[in-house]
Amino acid sequence: MPAPYDIFVLIKQVPDQSSKAGLNPDGTIDRAKAKRMLNPFDRFALQAALFTKKMYGGRVTAISMGPPAAVEILLEALEHGVDRGILLSDRRLAASDTLATAYALHKVVKSLGPFHLIFCGLQTTDGDTAQVGPQLAERLDLPQVTYCEDFAIENDQAKARRIIEGGVQYVKSDMPLLVTVANSYHHLEYKSFRGAWKVQRLARNPEELKKFITTVDLDMVQADPERCGLKGSPTIVAHTDKVGDIGGNCKMYEGQSVPELVDEVIKATNIKEFVKA
Amino acid sequence: MSGTENKPEETTLPVHETPRGNVLVVAEQILGELQPVTIELLGAATLLAGKLGTRVLCVVMGYNLGDIPQKLVQYGADQVFVADDESLENYRTLPYRRVLIDMLDSLPEPPHVCLLGSTTTGRDLAPRIAAHFETGLTADCTELDIGPYEHKSKVDPTKLGLYPDCLYAIRPSFGESLKARILGPWKNPQMATTRPGVMIPLKLDLNRPGEIFKIPVNLKQPDYRLQVERVVREVSKGLKLTEADVIVAGGYGLGTVDGFTILKDLADCFENSAVGASRKVVDLGWIKYEHQVGQTGKTVRPKLYIACGISGAIQHRVGMSKSGTIIAINKDPDAPIFKFAHHGIVGDVYHVVPELIKAFKKQSKSEKQGVETVVHSH
Repeated sequence: MPAPYDIFVLIKQVPDQSSKAGLNPDGTIDRAKAKRMLNPFDRFALQAALFTKKMYGGRVTAISMGPPAAVEILLEALEHGVDRGILLSDRRLAASDTLATAYALHKVVKSLGPFHLIFCGLQTTDGDTAQVGPQLAERLDLPQVTYCEDFAIENDQAKARRIIEGGVQYVKSDMPLLVTVANSYHHLEYKSFRGAWKVQRLARNPEELKKFITTVDLDMVQADPERCGLKGSPTIVAHTDKVGDIGGNCKMYEGQSVPELVDEVIKATNIKEFVKA
Repeated sequence: MSGTENKPEETTLPVHETPRGNVLVVAEQILGELQPVTIELLGAATLLAGKLGTRVLCVVMGYNLGDIPQKLVQYGADQVFVADDESLENYRTLPYRRVLIDMLDSLPEPPHVCLLGSTTTGRDLAPRIAAHFETGLTADCTELDIGPYEHKSKVDPTKLGLYPDCLYAIRPSFGESLKARILGPWKNPQMATTRPGVMIPLKLDLNRPGEIFKIPVNLKQPDYRLQVERVVREVSKGLKLTEADVIVAGGYGLGTVDGFTILKDLADCFENSAVGASRKVVDLGWIKYEHQVGQTGKTVRPKLYIACGISGAIQHRVGMSKSGTIIAINKDPDAPIFKFAHHGIVGDVYHVVPELIKAFKKQSKSEKQGVETVVHSH
């Protein structure tokens, strides 16, 4: 049996963009009012972490940074079968850009001791930068596999398939290693009955819950507050413009029989020009 | 910006005069094939360097690069730095990172701006470089510019003042229907990645002058922690999304993975066509990642885009809204896609698409008959 692996998975709570709640008329999101959800990309990171544990043994720790409400996604992660959750929550982190976020997260990781693997989602749906993973790897001086579609361990080496432009790369790497998982990673339906049962039990017993989810602040992980939040962020959003509706005047076809609709569209557009002779 | 409303007494703010540096493009090639985004970036860099009154630098890493350095000059680079070494044959984060950091350290002053493509390579490498130099990086930009910025926030008093030559990195702020102008003027290089297919390249000029330098490759032991075992380039899968004239794309509204069968049949009716998909259905494993439109830096602009059962989330819209003609088919008349499609069919994809296929099959048959008639009349 190989040594059990210590596996970290980074997850984030994001506003639910499919819900209209919390959307201001000017197009900005009121994060206090918006419905919250687990970043969709992080589901694949959770799958990869839990599948790795299932195959090779070990312990999975979910780590998140956010307001106290982000404990919700750590509970969700527990339901799926992670072993424990860590939430970094501190007002001094407000307005952190990706570099400041990576700095703060690397302090959390360091406070947890040695590990083999860090899985992250490819990117978040609220920032869409895909930067925090690699920036964290830089801070921790780790090799990285981004856009990972498949992952395995052989002889204590990580093996992965990653997407490149117009193809894929097969790589092998020493551990510790940071992996960002693409949404084309598919291994198992990861909701675990035991996890769901555990969370139901914990929900009734806040004291017991504290054994599984720990909230830390910047001081507890020895992070320099000057390097977090607005002060620690080299980028600022200086200006925003509303994106107008592109195209705008959509010609609608409805209410007729399907053959009539199709006939009308074919006549009204240049679609026929593209049909194979 | 309403700059004219600035009151004159505010000009007491300190002016942070930074020396105007060069604009660096990090070129991208895969197995000796220069990627189009690099040529686009050289076009954008030429505009920025023109505004700054400085020069365009370009660094290219790989093995057996052949005439790529000359091509980079012909597309706008004033100076090309070439790292040609067997260890750089395939892209790997750590070796490329090492060479790029060494190259930046060897310059007398950091470039003003450093640009990479928002590709799987650029998005892998750029954050490492930005974190190493602790400088700002903006992902997936759709516009770049140089301009002034007045920092009035008193959170950090040392930053107060006017910054005359900032990189304006402009990107869609997803989910918020906004375009954000992101700046990081405190430190050079100011970094950004740009979406492929957005920036305008210069015309190839075979007589453009430029200098080419070799740069050293000094990898260290930890740079070998990750090895590439093999690379598979998918050539058989038909046309790439970015090169197709026609894209037939499917979304969650298809209801099931089988929906892609009829979309494929529809795509087959067209010349130079490809099948696209929304992120949600790739998430579900209905179709492979390479079909995904939007969000991960992939912008498509086919002449014809047929969206089937796609609701039209902002990410998708940013990925395809520059298409020539957009036809949307959706059961829900309130679907956001109808706000930016040109033609909207309210109906069931499973009824509308087969009808379209039927119409096109008829059309191509009648055209063939037409050809035969002509042949017979000879």
